[in-house]
Amino acid sequence: MKRRLLALLLAGTMAAGVLAGCGNNSSKNEGKSEGTTENQNADNEADEVADDAEEGTEEVKGSDEGSGDITGTVDIFQYKVEINDALKAATEKYMELNPGVTINLETVGGGDDYGAALRTRMQASDQPEIFNIGGPQDVIDWEANLADLSAEGWVGNTVEGLLDDVTKDGKVYGMPLAIEGYGFVYNKEIFEAAGIDVAALKTYEDIDKAFGDLKAKIDNGDLKEQFPALEAVIEYPAKEKWVLGMHTGNIALGQEFANCTEAFNAKEVEFKYAAELKDLIDLQIKYTVNADNPAALNAVDYSMQAGGGLAIERVAAIQQGNWVYPIIAEVDSAVAEKLGIIPMPLKGVSEGNTPVGVPMYWAVNSQSDEKDQAAARDFLNWLYQSEEGMQIVVNDFGFIPPLTNFGDAKPSDPLGQAISEAANAGTIAPWVFNGCPTSWAENVLGAEIQSYIGGDKTWEEAVESAKQSWKESR
Amino acid sequence: MKRSKLGFWGFVLPSFVMFAVVVLIPALWGIGYSFTSWNGIGNDVAFVGISNYIKIFTEDGDFRHAFLFTAVFSVLVVICVNLVGFLLALLVTSKAKGTTLMRGAFFMPNLIGGILLGFTWQFIFVQAFGAIYNATGLEFFKNWLSDTKTSFFGLLILVVWQLAGYMMLIYIAQIQNIPDDILEAAEIDGANYRQRLFYVVLPLVAPAFTIGLFLSLTTCFKLYDQNLSLTNGGPYNSTEMLALNIYNTAFKYNNYGEAQAKAVIFLLVVSVIGLTQLNISKKKEVEM
Repeated sequence: MKRRLLALLLAGTMAAGVLAGCGNNSSKNEGKSEGTTENQNADNEADEVADDAEEGTEEVKGSDEGSGDITGTVDIFQYKVEINDALKAATEKYMELNPGVTINLETVGGGDDYGAALRTRMQASDQPEIFNIGGPQDVIDWEANLADLSAEGWVGNTVEGLLDDVTKDGKVYGMPLAIEGYGFVYNKEIFEAAGIDVAALKTYEDIDKAFGDLKAKIDNGDLKEQFPALEAVIEYPAKEKWVLGMHTGNIALGQEFANCTEAFNAKEVEFKYAAELKDLIDLQIKYTVNADNPAALNAVDYSMQAGGGLAIERVAAIQQGNWVYPIIAEVDSAVAEKLGIIPMPLKGVSEGNTPVGVPMYWAVNSQSDEKDQAAARDFLNWLYQSEEGMQIVVNDFGFIPPLTNFGDAKPSDPLGQAISEAANAGTIAPWVFNGCPTSWAENVLGAEIQSYIGGDKTWEEAVESAKQSWKESR
Repeated sequence: MKRSKLGFWGFVLPSFVMFAVVVLIPALWGIGYSFTSWNGIGNDVAFVGISNYIKIFTEDGDFRHAFLFTAVFSVLVVICVNLVGFLLALLVTSKAKGTTLMRGAFFMPNLIGGILLGFTWQFIFVQAFGAIYNATGLEFFKNWLSDTKTSFFGLLILVVWQLAGYMMLIYIAQIQNIPDDILEAAEIDGANYRQRLFYVVLPLVAPAFTIGLFLSLTTCFKLYDQNLSLTNGGPYNSTEMLALNIYNTAFKYNNYGEAQAKAVIFLLVVSVIGLTQLNISKKKEVEM
């Protein structure tokens, strides 16, 4: 009896497995065939669409002629959770315009897990057509899967320098998603209430003094009535190694290396501005609520800093980038509108400059069918170069456009505008952490800074150990 | 009844095929990769012999640290979990009131996923303990999860809290299996509670200890999600356990081959420890 039951169970599992497999296949096929039949029926619609497209965009002509004729299936595998819904809506709009194309969107979030997820996804037989890559290391790792995008219309319109990190042997392999930048994101109202003129803040000393004044006002209760939750000037999430190693570290490394590629080719890191970097870290520690007990910062995470810090006006400033806007807006949209950015100073070396860079690039999979690849290219072109697409990128994604021909389409949130202004004014510094050895910025430098904050190592020991690790991995 | 060969294979083959496909073949494949310098992405898989293994044993200080940390941690967890589990089992099999409710309550943590538990306890350690420290100034509540010591004990508390309920269940089953007449006979012979516990109950519960030790030891060695969500190896990688270290080697540092080599060592260690422990404990069991 028992044996029969077991056999039945086993048989059942097998059958379920087989059925599940079938189910998947059939649904996929359905999607595909639907796409093609629709395409046949949609000829007359396609004409209209082509007209529309031509009206809207002048830039795209070369590669986008007759967008109605495009067929194919495009799987997008991307990492930006924040834009998932808006991108989904954009793909639907594109599919309406191009009935021959089916686009499936898959988002795996956090940035942290994306690399691992992409690797697994690429092992599958059905690889995505569009995916994200980071800096020069990714270009080398994924070279077999990267289609040459040099001939695309948007290449000529890209902000200067943004393609350097994804250009290899003269070929462009990626399209920048957006420009991002970071600094001390601060609450204008709190600084105003404390009588501080932020526009005048530029040097390390200025900022130190302004933070000191604000701290004095918080401590003696002057701002209690207006901002009851306010308890410190700044919050520093030392638990997040990326905040320490990638972003804070980049302020110093970005002056040592001119760009990712230079960092990428460096056999050793000299850490020319280690002392100045220490000053910058100490500045942040000094004005947190844990100033007397810095080790406690090692347990402070991103959500305590952003949602549970700046957004509820518990602190007046945080070291973050324009990407925190939606997180703050979700908690308190009124606070989100009061935000601005103070450039982070590297004492006496680079003051008043905002580090801006490209978080990730769109890449097209060269292993996919020609026709799917063409559809993928066309979709990217439509998204970043058609009037309709540009509106989506700027307004719905909240991106700062990486291309120069977006014209009036300006970021709608205050942080995006601040970064955009800094980029236009040229008061910028580079992002070089993607050029460091794999995982070095986050997991080595970040951890070393943690051990400095935790009091486990002196600053010199921490820097020395980080330098050593760089050398070993090159 | 004579068993036909066809029948035998008919029943065994399907499950064997499944086992092979999802366990055996990937495992062998993985052992193969441990001799390569594959980065987990491209098709260029270069054979490098045992250099991955040499590197792990000679150069990789992080792996050694993770190994030691895991070993020390596991020993402590195994002792605490089984002790607490056994005591809980004694408690809920006693004639006290509300034992059914208690059983449910103690087992509950086991039904929650490790990731969620990690975040819950992170909140308790960081926010709640922090608030208590600020209010009372008691040193005990200071800086939880922000230095190496409190991170270690934080992780320990979390795992013990989670696993103790499960072990309790195993011990309950065994304790309830002890026939009342044996206990009554001991009582009539004049044995007090302590004597009955140590000379009657404990030897008869020994088989459950075998299972309990084995399960807690292997679970603890393989711990990943709680580690990830509570501390993520921090501060400064001091609480990085083996599984997390292997994952990071493969997916953060892109050394797939080296990670596979670590995984092979990991597998060997876990099986050797598990089997040795199983053998030793089995000798201590008594037949009823």
